[in-house]
Amino acid sequence: MLFNILKRSFLNQKRAMAVMIVSVAVGTAIAASLLALSFDISSKVSRELRSFGANIVVQPRITGLAGVSGQKRYLREADIPKAKTIFWRHNILGVAPLLVVRDEKQNAQVLGTWYLRTIALPGEKKGFDTGASTVMPWWSIEGKWPAGDSEILAGIGIAEKKNLKIGDRVAVGGRQLRISGVLNAGGREDDMFVGELATVQLLYGLPGRISQVAVSALTTPMDDFAYKDPATMSRKEYEKWYCTGYVTSIAKQLEEVFAGSVARPIWPVAEAEGNVLSRLELLIILLTAVSLLAAALGISTTMIMSLLKRTEEVALMKGLGANTLQTVTVFLSEALLIGLAGGAVGYLLSLGISSYLGYQVFGTALEQKGMLLPISIGVSEVISVLGAYLPIRRALRIKPAIVLKGGQ
Amino acid sequence: MSFITIEKVSKEYATTRALNGVDCTIGSGEWVNIMGPSGSGKSTLLNILGGLDRPTEGIVTINSTDINRLSEDELARFRRETIGFVFQQSHLIPYLDATENVMLAQYFHSIPDRGEAEEALKRVGLGHRLRHRPAELSGGEQQRVGIARALINNPNLLLADEPTGNLDRSNTRNILELLKELHAQEKFTVVVVTHDPFVSQWARRVISMEDGRIIRDEPVRS
Repeated sequence: MLFNILKRSFLNQKRAMAVMIVSVAVGTAIAASLLALSFDISSKVSRELRSFGANIVVQPRITGLAGVSGQKRYLREADIPKAKTIFWRHNILGVAPLLVVRDEKQNAQVLGTWYLRTIALPGEKKGFDTGASTVMPWWSIEGKWPAGDSEILAGIGIAEKKNLKIGDRVAVGGRQLRISGVLNAGGREDDMFVGELATVQLLYGLPGRISQVAVSALTTPMDDFAYKDPATMSRKEYEKWYCTGYVTSIAKQLEEVFAGSVARPIWPVAEAEGNVLSRLELLIILLTAVSLLAAALGISTTMIMSLLKRTEEVALMKGLGANTLQTVTVFLSEALLIGLAGGAVGYLLSLGISSYLGYQVFGTALEQKGMLLPISIGVSEVISVLGAYLPIRRALRIKPAIVLKGGQ
Repeated sequence: MSFITIEKVSKEYATTRALNGVDCTIGSGEWVNIMGPSGSGKSTLLNILGGLDRPTEGIVTINSTDINRLSEDELARFRRETIGFVFQQSHLIPYLDATENVMLAQYFHSIPDRGEAEEALKRVGLGHRLRHRPAELSGGEQQRVGIARALINNPNLLLADEPTGNLDRSNTRNILELLKELHAQEKFTVVVVTHDPFVSQWARRVISMEDGRIIRDEPVRS
């Protein structure tokens, strides 16, 4: 009977029902799209933020007398591919080895690095393209990156200071090297000579050695838990921390694969990223809440209008002996059916909207997660029930004696 | 023992006193008409008997239950188990057909039974109108559906508020004959509110009201 009442009620008020389903569908579509955005925004924005450079630096661990006597310590170049073997390996977007040595004759520092190198990964067909060009994408080279071990770049600062131009020859590491280009890095590299890592290692007799590794990694925004000292964590907490993509846990995992290393987040970068992501997520939550509220108000208004037309019907139900539960059941069932239909339509709409949003904002589609369908239906049911609250309250207050006699 | 006992019942609205200390008893199986001009309080009394309104003062006992002591949900239950209503306007749900309108009362009472609902409609002479919607029925037919709906749960008390108010004389006679026949068969108690002297001829007793008081309570001479 309830099914019959609902079916006939829907068919009898096609326009009002359509308006309510559209209200719910639009609200759900916006909420689901924002939700899809929020699922993906961390990785998408984090990826965008990676253009600001490395957020983790791996350096040699200096302990005991080595620290006191100022001995130089190095990392092994051979350990670099291991960065792509850690738990969060897919979050490692770029790795740049850096070897910094001092050239006494030039009274300047010389930096050796990879500009663009494809490293083979164990068990994977495709190599990993990395180097300074991915970790420090803002580097601007006038001329070209050194080809072979007879060329070097001059930082823009040292080039001006020593009046060096492309094509000039300069004595670095006891050899005459041709300046193949001028580097404008906007940092301390501007006052260095910069060359291919292998060249610098060769010139200064440091084969296979590097001073540090700059790592660019996608991270999860830091929260209070992330700042907890791992040494004080329980086993369960440690596992949770280790398996969350915090910059600290990724740094810890890098430390484990680079022999004799200490890995530290570059805090200004990591914290700025965390702040941006947290604020974006908050913004999305607020927008989602507003869209849900707007949809609930929409359905509430339409339902009240519909109820006003059905006052006599409600009064009759009560007159026939319908109790609170039975009256609520009729209207709540209607709301839930509207929610179901609105949720399904809203989900389909959200696929289009989130795809459009993804392409407009990030130039790529947002990842469509399967859980969005049940979430959409759940959201639309919440909207519908919220929207139905006031009309149902109103329905329960209807005085059948007055209405059935012809008043309101 | 009386089926209905009304003791010193008053009902006040914001600016008016609709009932003023009404006392009355109605026996089980009686057919009583309440008559009076507009504003005399007869509909208010009927609504209080039906549990659709509550008195400001006084006690109403139906079938040994003091209905003023019942909560809203208890009152709803009492209504669906004990009382059948027939209204001046038939108040049928426009999008349900005749059978479904009768089944609605079954639904709120217990379990809808299409066969029983159709049987009830046949008893009121609408066996050929089972699938018709209210808009496809005449005024008299709509009121017959209303009567079938009121009686489908075998109530002990039938309350009718101007049940023939919207009908012509011929249809009025038909409806009252039908009620009389059903009353004779089922032996339920009937209270009809009307201002039409023609309707009062069908009752065994007529209570006349004016200004919220009973001014006359007398049997009808047949």
